[in-house]
Amino acid sequence: MAHISLERLVKRFGKQTAVDRLSLEIKDREFIALLGPSGCGKTTTMNMISGLLKPDEGNIYFDGQSVISTPPGKRGVGFMFQNYAVFTFLNVYDNIAFGLKIQKLPHEEITRRVNEVTRLLQIRHLLRMSASALSINDMQRVALARSMITKPKIFLLDEPLSNLDAALRATMRAELKKIQQEAGQTAIYVTHDQVEAMSLADRIAVMNFAVLQQYDTPYNIYNRPKNLFVANFIGSPTINFFEGIYRKKEFVLSDFSGGIMPVSPKYAKEVKAKLKQERVVVGVRPEHLKVRHRKNGSGHNLKAKIVSYEPLGSKTVVYMHPDGNPHAIIKSVMGSGYKPKLGEITVLDFEEKAIYLFDKETEELSLRFS
Amino acid sequence: MLKKQIKLEDRGKIDTARFGFFMILPALVFLLFIVIFPLLSSIYLSLSEWSPLTGGGTRWYEAYKYWGWLANYWNILRDVEFLIAILRTFVIVIVVVPVEFFIGLGLAFLFRENFTGKKVFYSIILMPMMIVPAVAGFVFYMLFQAQGPVNAVLSALAMKEVSILWLQGKASAIIAIMIADIWQWSPFMFLILLSGLLALPEDQINAALILGATKWQRFKMVLFPLMKPVIVISLIFRGMEAVKIFDSIWLMTTGGPGTATESISVYMYKHGFKHLQWSWVAAGGIIILIIITLISLQALKPIKEQEEKQAA
Amino acid sequence: MEQKLYVRALKFFLIVAVTILFFFPIYWVFSMAFKPFPEWTAAAGKIYWYPHHPTINNFRAIFSRKLEMSPIAGTAIRPIVNSLTVSIIGTGIAMVVGVFAAYGISRYKAGGNLPFMLLQLRMFPPIAILIPIMIMWAFLRMIDTWYGLVIIYGVVTLPFSVWLMKTFFDDIPKELDEAAIVDGCSNIGAFFKVVIPLAKSGIASTALFVFILNWSDFLIALILTDRRWTTIPVHISKLQSAMVGALYGPKAALAMIAAVPPIIFGIMIQKYLVRGLTFGAIKK
Repeated sequence: MAHISLERLVKRFGKQTAVDRLSLEIKDREFIALLGPSGCGKTTTMNMISGLLKPDEGNIYFDGQSVISTPPGKRGVGFMFQNYAVFTFLNVYDNIAFGLKIQKLPHEEITRRVNEVTRLLQIRHLLRMSASALSINDMQRVALARSMITKPKIFLLDEPLSNLDAALRATMRAELKKIQQEAGQTAIYVTHDQVEAMSLADRIAVMNFAVLQQYDTPYNIYNRPKNLFVANFIGSPTINFFEGIYRKKEFVLSDFSGGIMPVSPKYAKEVKAKLKQERVVVGVRPEHLKVRHRKNGSGHNLKAKIVSYEPLGSKTVVYMHPDGNPHAIIKSVMGSGYKPKLGEITVLDFEEKAIYLFDKETEELSLRFS
Repeated sequence: MLKKQIKLEDRGKIDTARFGFFMILPALVFLLFIVIFPLLSSIYLSLSEWSPLTGGGTRWYEAYKYWGWLANYWNILRDVEFLIAILRTFVIVIVVVPVEFFIGLGLAFLFRENFTGKKVFYSIILMPMMIVPAVAGFVFYMLFQAQGPVNAVLSALAMKEVSILWLQGKASAIIAIMIADIWQWSPFMFLILLSGLLALPEDQINAALILGATKWQRFKMVLFPLMKPVIVISLIFRGMEAVKIFDSIWLMTTGGPGTATESISVYMYKHGFKHLQWSWVAAGGIIILIIITLISLQALKPIKEQEEKQAA
Repeated sequence: MEQKLYVRALKFFLIVAVTILFFFPIYWVFSMAFKPFPEWTAAAGKIYWYPHHPTINNFRAIFSRKLEMSPIAGTAIRPIVNSLTVSIIGTGIAMVVGVFAAYGISRYKAGGNLPFMLLQLRMFPPIAILIPIMIMWAFLRMIDTWYGLVIIYGVVTLPFSVWLMKTFFDDIPKELDEAAIVDGCSNIGAFFKVVIPLAKSGIASTALFVFILNWSDFLIALILTDRRWTTIPVHISKLQSAMVGALYGPKAALAMIAAVPPIIFGIMIQKYLVRGLTFGAIKK
């Protein structure tokens, strides 16, 4: 069992607070991601969990036991560094065997386990090579082998794939997840790449400026982001935000020079109840926003002018700005062969249930129409 | 004709090679005239028995008139003073360099973390290294006087009168010289080892920590191997310089009492200038040169490797 | 990882102790320079740990032309001027030759093993080279001249100026030279217009480093000068054998004058000391 509990963790560096009262519960065998932009506190949190840093306030529990005063070596965690940190002065075998040698395991047992791990990760042919001569990809596997071989219950990974080429990243992602599940470990994965987090994690903890923004499943984070930051951080291309005012059953959007977006009666009551004040931000994801070339019956008259487009093979991203407002950018994801005419004025089309409604003041999600 | 046939890209290559050559030309000229030529003439002289006293004043090229073949070499290698000077120098080096190394290493570890006034202490500790070596010799000459501060402190510690005649005793003079050298050059080792220590990849040490290594294990199995290149470089450079020791000895004892503190350089200076045995000393110089070159070719290998590693 | 308080206190105490030990000799010579005769003379009978009656008489003494203070050696004005002159000119030579050579080595890999031969140069005991040089110089009547001394200073510090400048040039991306050349600059034009301005602080630091070496020299000046062009360290050693007895006070004053510039310059180029002393093998 490796249940992790973080209780109001605080870490300060001088006057800066790197982690601000973070509380998190991680279930046994869960794979969670710490996601956020650089400097949000995710790596600092990881370092506190591993024991490399001591928190200023708060507590950390593994299976109910506080480990705050336990030195890193005795916490039973495995750690993968962003730069792998393989021992450059040792060969691959000694690198991988390092942890076992510290534990003073018998020689035969060490060799057996090294062979087992290297066979699993397909690096057996490298055993005699000096670690400093390895390619980046091989180095990563050696680092993985080294941290796995001690059979830790908890696995901490600090952006382990960011140095790999894109193609390899996808395969390694799948491999990491498979290893974690087969080994039955609880894993915490730090990343700034939301695609990685979404594809790997059972739950994602989104952080920004030392504060936990939301801790939920990928599905919920995508569909019910707690605030503007989370909505913007998840999803590629990023969500479209339209500022405006709610007035008499319709949104008057300032980005569209006062363009109107009516609210169907079905939802009007809910909106009236949930909104605390009239200033709102309406969010629509590009994948839900379509471009139409003639007026349709969806009721709103939001027009946009096409600026550019990116044919990405499986989809096409279209960039527009609201008619009359060249400062705002609207993104739409259209189909594979779509080829718009630049400068053309089009009508935006999206369903009501795709809307994310945010309170402009609190920046929090007020509601979704579904 | 030939120029037209050279392709444009090759011309670029020739131009760059030529440019590079011109850049180092002054240095090459310097080396040729001020290093190579004197060396050759030194070899020439060493094979003769000429000295300004025997003939011709400064017309050294007439040395062939006093040819002696390997007589000088033969004699100097049988000169007890010369051999002892070599031995003495190496004894001094074998003692001071490790002591300076350990002091420097200890200081480097102490300076790893921050503490109040770190920069000030750092600058002060580096000062001995920046003192003109001759001045350092003079200072320690003063310190080791019979009524000087060293004896005063020893008297206070021993609670009785201590009045060692440091610079007048054969063994005590050497110890005094060693102490002066250790004072002056420990900061040198400190500087280099601290740089090495601070440049250590933190990640690898943390990886070892998480894998369960104790402080001692981290030191022995990770830190020390990572520091090896820097340690080797520091020892080589310090050893290289220590062999040449002259300034402090000259200011403290001028090689005395008698010849008790003659290092190689002091011996050669005395014989070159007091006794004007120029060809004799030239032979001595050649011998030293051969010994040092052999040692240095071995010693410079790690530095060359480091340079190549950095260029890669 | 933070440590227990008493460990930190112990470490701090050690550092303070070592600092005091290292500083004491420097303090001693400085305090000696300001002590009046009764306090520094060997016959004093006791040790004055600080100047009870500070005075600048010692400084006056070394600059005085009166013979009773230093009958053999004479005034110190000349050696100070000499030291300045030959150190500056020697530095100039080493810098000019070295900067060009370093650029050639850094960008064009010129000279092959030349850099390492320069390194080996430093391994020789200077005395081995200086004897034949002295003989040659004697023949060419270059003994006790500034140009005789300065050429040697240039050569002896050349390994440092070349290696140190090479590391500074290496720090400047080659792409900048190439951009200038693509824009129409000649090779030498790129060197002067682009690289040199960028390497300004490196050049200054190297020059200071070489200056310290020249200023601190003793053996070369001892051999190649006689009366006219003695430098400060040589002058101090001459005072050592002065017949008037141990002139601690005045000699300390002179020693202080000699010691101060390298300390100031050394602290100024602290950042680059490691690089210079290890010929670029270690860069902080």
